[in-house]
Amino acid sequence: MFTTEMIQLFAVVLGKDSQRVTEALLHEGCMQFVRSTELEGLKDLSAVEPEVSLAKISDLRKRIEGFLHTAGFIPSTPEEIDLNNRVSVDIAKENNRLDEIAAERTSIRERQRTIQQEILKLEDIRRQIEFYGTNLSDVKLGAKHSLISLQIGTFPASNAKQLENALRDFLLLTIPLGNEGDMAHYLLISMKRDNQEIQKILTSVGWTQIEFPDNLQPVNKNVFSELSAKRKSFSDEQKKLESKADSLVKKEATQLEETWVNLRVNELFYKIQESFASSWRTVIFTGWLPLSKKERLTSEITKACGGRCYLEWNEAGSKDVFGNEVPVQFNNPKMFAPFQMLVSNFGIPKYGTIDPTPFVMPLYLAMFGLMFADVGQGLVLAGLGVLGMFLFKKKERKEGMYHLSWLIVWCGISSVLFGVLLGSFFGMSLFRPLWFDFHGIVSGHSQNDSMINDIYDILLITVYFGISVIALGLIFNWINIIRTSQWAELFLDKGGVIGGWIYAGGVYIASYVISHEYKGLPSGTILFLLVGLPSLLLFIKEPYHFLKRSDAYSDSKFGTVTILNFLMQWIVGLLEIFTGYVSNTLSFMRVAGFGIAHVCLMISFFTLAKMTSGIFSVIVLVLGNILVISLEGLTAGIQALRLSYYEFFTKFFHGTGKLYTPISLNSR
Amino acid sequence: MAGTLSKYSFINAKLRARISKILPDKVFSQLAKAPALDEAIAVLRETPFASLEGIYSETGDIKQAELEILKNEIDLYRNIREHLHKDSVGLVDALLHQFEIDNLKNAIRIFFAWKNEKQSIDTSLHYLLYDRIINDIPIDIIANADNFDEIAGVCEGTPYCQIIKKYSHTVESESSLFRMEIAFDHFYYNNLISSINELARRDRTIAIRLVGVEIDLQNINWIIRLKNFYNLPLDAVLATIVPGGFNLDRNVIDELYKTQNVAFILKGFVNSKYPELSALLSSQAPDSTSRLVLIRRMLQEIIKYEVQRILSGYPFTVGIILAYFILKRDELTKIRMILNAKQYGISRERVEGMI
Repeated sequence: MFTTEMIQLFAVVLGKDSQRVTEALLHEGCMQFVRSTELEGLKDLSAVEPEVSLAKISDLRKRIEGFLHTAGFIPSTPEEIDLNNRVSVDIAKENNRLDEIAAERTSIRERQRTIQQEILKLEDIRRQIEFYGTNLSDVKLGAKHSLISLQIGTFPASNAKQLENALRDFLLLTIPLGNEGDMAHYLLISMKRDNQEIQKILTSVGWTQIEFPDNLQPVNKNVFSELSAKRKSFSDEQKKLESKADSLVKKEATQLEETWVNLRVNELFYKIQESFASSWRTVIFTGWLPLSKKERLTSEITKACGGRCYLEWNEAGSKDVFGNEVPVQFNNPKMFAPFQMLVSNFGIPKYGTIDPTPFVMPLYLAMFGLMFADVGQGLVLAGLGVLGMFLFKKKERKEGMYHLSWLIVWCGISSVLFGVLLGSFFGMSLFRPLWFDFHGIVSGHSQNDSMINDIYDILLITVYFGISVIALGLIFNWINIIRTSQWAELFLDKGGVIGGWIYAGGVYIASYVISHEYKGLPSGTILFLLVGLPSLLLFIKEPYHFLKRSDAYSDSKFGTVTILNFLMQWIVGLLEIFTGYVSNTLSFMRVAGFGIAHVCLMISFFTLAKMTSGIFSVIVLVLGNILVISLEGLTAGIQALRLSYYEFFTKFFHGTGKLYTPISLNSR
Repeated sequence: MAGTLSKYSFINAKLRARISKILPDKVFSQLAKAPALDEAIAVLRETPFASLEGIYSETGDIKQAELEILKNEIDLYRNIREHLHKDSVGLVDALLHQFEIDNLKNAIRIFFAWKNEKQSIDTSLHYLLYDRIINDIPIDIIANADNFDEIAGVCEGTPYCQIIKKYSHTVESESSLFRMEIAFDHFYYNNLISSINELARRDRTIAIRLVGVEIDLQNINWIIRLKNFYNLPLDAVLATIVPGGFNLDRNVIDELYKTQNVAFILKGFVNSKYPELSALLSSQAPDSTSRLVLIRRMLQEIIKYEVQRILSGYPFTVGIILAYFILKRDELTKIRMILNAKQYGISRERVEGMI
């Protein structure tokens, strides 16, 4: 119900022991440090200067990580052995090594780029031919907008190399058609605009143009196969270069990984030392850890510095603690993890207040189940959740998805349970419901043999449920206020005792009116005692804050305006309480609403299925179930979350806490 | 006529979700820090730009990756267009013209470079867009054309034909594409303002303000360029100014152009129109390059300020669409700029100064 109890350590060790103590602290990995700048009263102490700049270590580690990622390696988190083998890293040398790899990789990329230009040239020619000159046999390349020039010619075969070299910079394709004696025959496809320049080169190699033969179909085929062949050869070369670039990192991967781990250990080590303050001979540090770790950490620090240390333990709330905030560690069993995710998504509970996770689980699942009660659909949902769990299991960066999958499994189980209670299997009434017949009531075929016989009864269940949730929220608020010793707030807060009194009174009056068929109210005295008196008592709130000189009144003087202000605040406060509690309670009726919508949708699909026959009716039912599972499942999940956040959490949960994030070898 | 809620509630939610995915400044500073291009691209691995890594490692060609970014940007406009109410579609179409105009300008530049300077154009040809954006424009033919008549001929039926015909002689006599490019810009902004005038009153006011600021920035960019590279007389400058600016009237432009210190005048402009941004003015710029960087940053901050104003205001207006496009364009421009800077080995400090 409450988060882990924390304790603050204030430690003084000798400077000569600081390395070993830092290693012990990293080894234990349980301390969240208070930065040296926050150590009030110890401002004269200087920060501990790390041997190597933390920023440089961090940059280099990230750089290596980038290199490793490009080759598909994800470095693993350091282990204890890595801490024991920690050595300092020569940052300049490692950077040089990376620079060398980078330079080599850049030169490979440059070659790749050149080849890519050739590939693009070929693609340009292909595009041109496809657009404007698709049929060589018609020699349509001379069409108005064709940019391609085509010629066949012969020249001394000994000049072939010279020709290839001279034409390298042009966008063209040369296709050797064969040799006749010592003369080579070539087909040349180039851009028209280059004709003048190309002609000069052709003349220099002794080119003689030949007229096109009547049927050029074989040449046509040849052009495309030549284009494809050249394209393939370039692509192959490109792939080779790509894998060469990859292998540059791969062959260094082991060493890079080792360096990465060492850097990570050093980074964490210096991060701890960053929170140290030092005097001439001593080093001081302070931080929070769970109370349960106190004994072990004491022994480890004492061992690390041979007993030459002063350790002082201060409980949260003590006047001797440094820093304003106590970090919060959730203290829930693993099975609550998906619901803890929902809570932390809203905010982290303030230290010492209630962690709502264990209550969110039954409330969320009850609301979801009521909205989505179906054994068959619940099993499908649970199955999908299990699938998601397998997909995201042990994937470091997919932890959120893993928890979400778990949440879907839980929702599925809840649907199955409520499906059994309300008698629904894929929208069919295959078995007798244990609680009441939801489908029967909605479709008007109820047997009237249960306590719940019509839609109003269903709505009433959710209203009662809402009242219970709000009451629970108010009780939690009182517990939180008592634990933080805000005695005035306990009575005067909107969610305090007087607020609760008004709410309880309102619930009684509403039930009285309903039980008297909307024809009578409780007596005036009862009305006054239930609602009037607490409302009047709330008027004390603003004058009390004025006398206490709270923030809102820190500079104000007493006068007519102040009295008007008191009055205004009182009226607004009362309006907020009355409208707020009524709307909060009625908001829970949506649970019944969505439950009814779920049943209605299934009834609609069965009606549609009846209008068809055979395989079509099966298809309608299958598609209908898929739609209901995806649409209603999502809606029910969101609505249950909305009710938890806005009707329950807002009563007591402020979410202003700071999560406990100790520096350990597993830190991210 | 549809209400603003039904017009913009869906697109507003969709775009706000997308805005949350725009890369934060932290990523850009990581990009700037990366010692080499490969490492910079690796930074983008966990972002929506992860595909760039694949393209670059396969081709070694950063321009190919840039082309991919451009294609994605156009697809983005088209995708958003599909989700818009019919009243706002015209505005997105007008905005899409900017890509077509830029592509056309690039093709004409290639043609012009080849015709006038006999520069090799093959490499640039690969990075043009050949697919239709708004109009059917045969980019291949334009880049490989013999003369402007041929270009105007193939652009027949598009709004660009008349511009090309009108300015081809000036371009040839001045040996510069400057006036034709300005005319294309004028067409773009005129068309944009016409489409804004079709919007409902509240949308029109917001769009005019945002586009007006964009026009101001465009005009300031032109003034800086004209002053530093062309040294044209004031009348000629005023002829190039795009009408429809939000803050810059003739007097400010006059002052901006005549002064020896554009940054100084801009400071006055920021102080009077955007006092919230006056903190920007504390930085000193000793040389002309730093001054240009300072000016560019001022302009960026002004547009950012306008975008924030829209995002924190009434949500159901066309403003959210324009704000998203501006933020996205800013993101893509920065990515392109940093990757190019890495390709050309520009120092980390300079890159950091540019973003």
